[in-house]
Amino acid sequence: MSTAAQPRKPWTPSQIVLTLLGTAVSAAFLAPFAWALFTSLKSETEAVQVPPHWLPEDWTGQAWKALFETGNITNWFVNSVVVSVCVTSVVLLVSALAGYGFARTEFRGKSALMGLVMAGLMISPAVLGVPLFTTVQQMGMVDTYWGMILPQCAPAAMVYILYKFFQGIPRELEEAAFIDGAGRWRVFFTIVLPLSRPSLAAVGIFTFIASWNNFLWPYMVTNNPDLMTMPNGIATVMNSYGIQWAQLMAGGLMAGLPLIIVFVFFQRQIVAGVAHTGLAGQ
Amino acid sequence: MGRPDLNRRQLLGGLGGLFVASGFGFAALGTGADALATDADTRVRYWNLFSGGDGYNMIAMLNSFREDHPAVAVKDSTLQWGSPFYTKLAMAAAGNRAPDLGVMHMGRVTGFSPGRLLDAWDTDLLAKYGVRKQDFNPQLWNRGVIDGKLYAVPLDIHVQLCFYRKDVLKKAGLLGDDGRIVPVTSTEEWFDVLKEARKATKKGLQTIGLWNSDQNFQWWFFVAFYTQLGGTWFNDADTDVTFDTGKATQVLEFLRRHITDGYANPAFAGPAGAEQFVNGSPFVWEGNWSVPVFDTAKVEYGATPLPPVFGRPATHAESHAFVLPHQSDRGGPANEGAHQLAAYIVRHAQQWALGGHIPAYRPVLSTAAYKKMSPQNEYVSAMDHQATEPKVWFAGSTGILAQRVGPIVVSSTMGSARPETAARRMKSELTRLLATKNPMDGRTAAQGGAVA
Amino acid sequence: MTTSAQTVIAPVRAGTAADSVTARRKQGFQHGGWFVAPFLVLFALFVIWPLLRGVWLSFTDANISGDSASFVGLDNYREALQDPLVWDTLGHSAYFTLLVVPCITVLAFLLAMLAHHIERGKWLWRLCFFAPFLLPSTVAANLWQWLFNPGTGMINYVFGIETPWLTDKSYAMLAVVICTLWWTVGFSFLLYLAALQGIPGHLYEAAKLDGANAWHRMVHITLPMLRNITGLVIALQILASLQVFDQAVVMMDFLPGPEGSTRTFVQYTLEEGFTSYRVGYASAISVIFFVIIAAVALARMWLLRNREESAR
Repeated sequence: MSTAAQPRKPWTPSQIVLTLLGTAVSAAFLAPFAWALFTSLKSETEAVQVPPHWLPEDWTGQAWKALFETGNITNWFVNSVVVSVCVTSVVLLVSALAGYGFARTEFRGKSALMGLVMAGLMISPAVLGVPLFTTVQQMGMVDTYWGMILPQCAPAAMVYILYKFFQGIPRELEEAAFIDGAGRWRVFFTIVLPLSRPSLAAVGIFTFIASWNNFLWPYMVTNNPDLMTMPNGIATVMNSYGIQWAQLMAGGLMAGLPLIIVFVFFQRQIVAGVAHTGLAGQ
Repeated sequence: MGRPDLNRRQLLGGLGGLFVASGFGFAALGTGADALATDADTRVRYWNLFSGGDGYNMIAMLNSFREDHPAVAVKDSTLQWGSPFYTKLAMAAAGNRAPDLGVMHMGRVTGFSPGRLLDAWDTDLLAKYGVRKQDFNPQLWNRGVIDGKLYAVPLDIHVQLCFYRKDVLKKAGLLGDDGRIVPVTSTEEWFDVLKEARKATKKGLQTIGLWNSDQNFQWWFFVAFYTQLGGTWFNDADTDVTFDTGKATQVLEFLRRHITDGYANPAFAGPAGAEQFVNGSPFVWEGNWSVPVFDTAKVEYGATPLPPVFGRPATHAESHAFVLPHQSDRGGPANEGAHQLAAYIVRHAQQWALGGHIPAYRPVLSTAAYKKMSPQNEYVSAMDHQATEPKVWFAGSTGILAQRVGPIVVSSTMGSARPETAARRMKSELTRLLATKNPMDGRTAAQGGAVA
Repeated sequence: MTTSAQTVIAPVRAGTAADSVTARRKQGFQHGGWFVAPFLVLFALFVIWPLLRGVWLSFTDANISGDSASFVGLDNYREALQDPLVWDTLGHSAYFTLLVVPCITVLAFLLAMLAHHIERGKWLWRLCFFAPFLLPSTVAANLWQWLFNPGTGMINYVFGIETPWLTDKSYAMLAVVICTLWWTVGFSFLLYLAALQGIPGHLYEAAKLDGANAWHRMVHITLPMLRNITGLVIALQILASLQVFDQAVVMMDFLPGPEGSTRTFVQYTLEEGFTSYRVGYASAISVIFFVIIAAVALARMWLLRNREESAR
């Protein structure tokens, strides 16, 4: 930010070496993306030619065209958006309320409940998939949006992060408002929430990424291809009919690019968000 | 804070709210989508597991049914193939929310608790719509019969095939006058064919792809060749294991030899075999569902059942079959509609053959249109030489049997276990499975009485 | 919710303005139950209830159809202890963890040092190293399946080797590990980067004045300052790695890999539940797994507490 104001730093030998090294490592990290992109621009036959070559000899958009014409990829995209948006907004609302409740209010059994929530940090669909599935099945939510959304909406970790944050807000701010006669809810919405915008953004961003990329739970709870999310549809439906690599790579880029583009634009917030949510675990 | 800023914020907030609201709207809709009402007299709910090319063919058949029978409304749901499909079907049947008609793999029927999770077909009703036992291969038809009742109506068989490249084999002098591969009747002949083919193969390509490291394919190939040798699995009462480790060893050695003699490169052990084939590798053993794949790749190829190297022809066959998931009040027009729809699709399976499958309804096979289909016409004989898994609850496509025994076959083919050792392990695994209780009804294979 | 005595009494005692203020101030923080309620409902339905249900099911022979389960006592647990696949798959998950955790920690640290010390284009390095993390697991897995694909894959071609990455049991898990490193290192990298930026610059300047070279500065300032974050990275990675599932199944086309070598514990529980229809047994091994995960998490808490106490 302030770098613009400063005079440009000189190219010292160590900076040159480091920059070259950084470039090489970055190239290695990006190469798989490039390989995916080039593959998606080949014909299926050219894609599986031995030995492989980087650039297509015949540039063709057939894989991308086939992806949109024959597959359910647009459905999956919409489903992913719906699920991630719903999960993110419910998580934000619910965990902000709960975090505040635990941090700043008193009620009977609070510490016991807090302990329970901490225990919840250890439970994930990977650990308790089968019983979670039968529970959701009993509620009749298998193969529904709600079945995908709601079980992702009780993340103890996010409550914990916001709880820590709310604890750090000076009590005096709220006390002053109470003295002015403001109700608790008004204080929460007009004073506490605006103050915690960066933390909420962090939690929101992290939740969105996690939900957009979630595979295991949607995989367990849906088998109607029209209802699948991107990661699930690509892994199960697209893989099941003789792998067509060009199409598969095109689909993968479709699933991955939105977040990467968003990242390019909101880099600062996302980095802060991920670091913030991660560091809160300390 | 200036006014424009506030406006922008309000706008953004409004848009965001709208976005979230529409998300929830969508989510709410998704729950109720199944409850669509219809004007037709009969409504048949049908779950199938076909997407991709098969899905396309299935929908075409459904559409022609709809045109011919406007009084029957078909609500079809496509579900993804695999374990979740069976899970969902089982739970729907147990929870009495089952569809009127479903599709399953034939081998899974026995383990799927017929009588409790599946209802029996009304054979008179089927006959009324033109589906009778005599129009099917009797062995295939009987796979769907359990305790004397018909629980599954076969739609097709899908088989393991030996795909070969005509261009390479021609160069190697391995094509007959009819443009098809020369017949092979013994292991020695087979390896001679491979030897000649290898000479005509481009450098860097393997001679044959046989999924050496894939537990399903290796298991299917094993079943095929073990059946060629006349091997058996269990006695009729399912109380004893009759698995012949000598014969099994022979099969395992045969499979292994493809690698030790350098025809199958372990580096191309998986799906890469098909890619090698497209690149000019002369042989690949694959399921018939690869027919559309190789058609699209514009490869000049033929396909025969797996070579009868042990004398008697037999190739692994599994079958898609129509089933009636259990409904406590099954009957009435929806049930009759299910019979009508299944019968119609079985009898009009010409389109289905495009996916490489062999239609189960034999009159389709003798139509001129089917006889013209290539390479389908080359492997249609597989219908009469089916090698199938034993008829026990733990068998069936990618079922427990394949999951437990398949890796043992792979360990031998890949060389991490000696064939004799692997054969012995297979036998002890079969013994263990035979004593295991079916989780669906708590009975072992012998107690199950599930065999016809 | 609860009506505490104070709220009732407060108005009565409100004799002076000061008292009233105190009361109101306190009152503001009462009755938090409603704040917590929505979360608790979801939490109870989708975390606590499944957990209790899993424990109950683990003592039954329930199958996937959900009807007629009967109590079988400890049979499932007894079977689990003797089931070689339980031990094999636990071993696979542990092996994966053992490979991934140290590699990721070191790699993330090195990348963070690199990105931190290059003065130009910070955002670019961050983007490059972090971008893979933004891919869904299944896409990352497909990508590496394609890169490792024999014959047509770039890895073998670029390095001029013919390693059967996905089809040989001695390489398969390694391939999954490599994919995982590429895919997830970005997260730990960001944590390290944030921590590096948080180290006060004056420490380094003081050391420079004392004549410490770059190596000494790293060993005596950077590494000790990063101790907490390293503990965090390791703990998070252990918990995540033990639960590995996505990459392994997708890279192996939903099979357990060559000779079952990449079948992870999570995969095994799902196979038992959904392929073998044995919900009771699958629940029992899930409960065992939960105990293991909880033990790891508690061990970390215990370590942290000990360290805090010794620091005091």
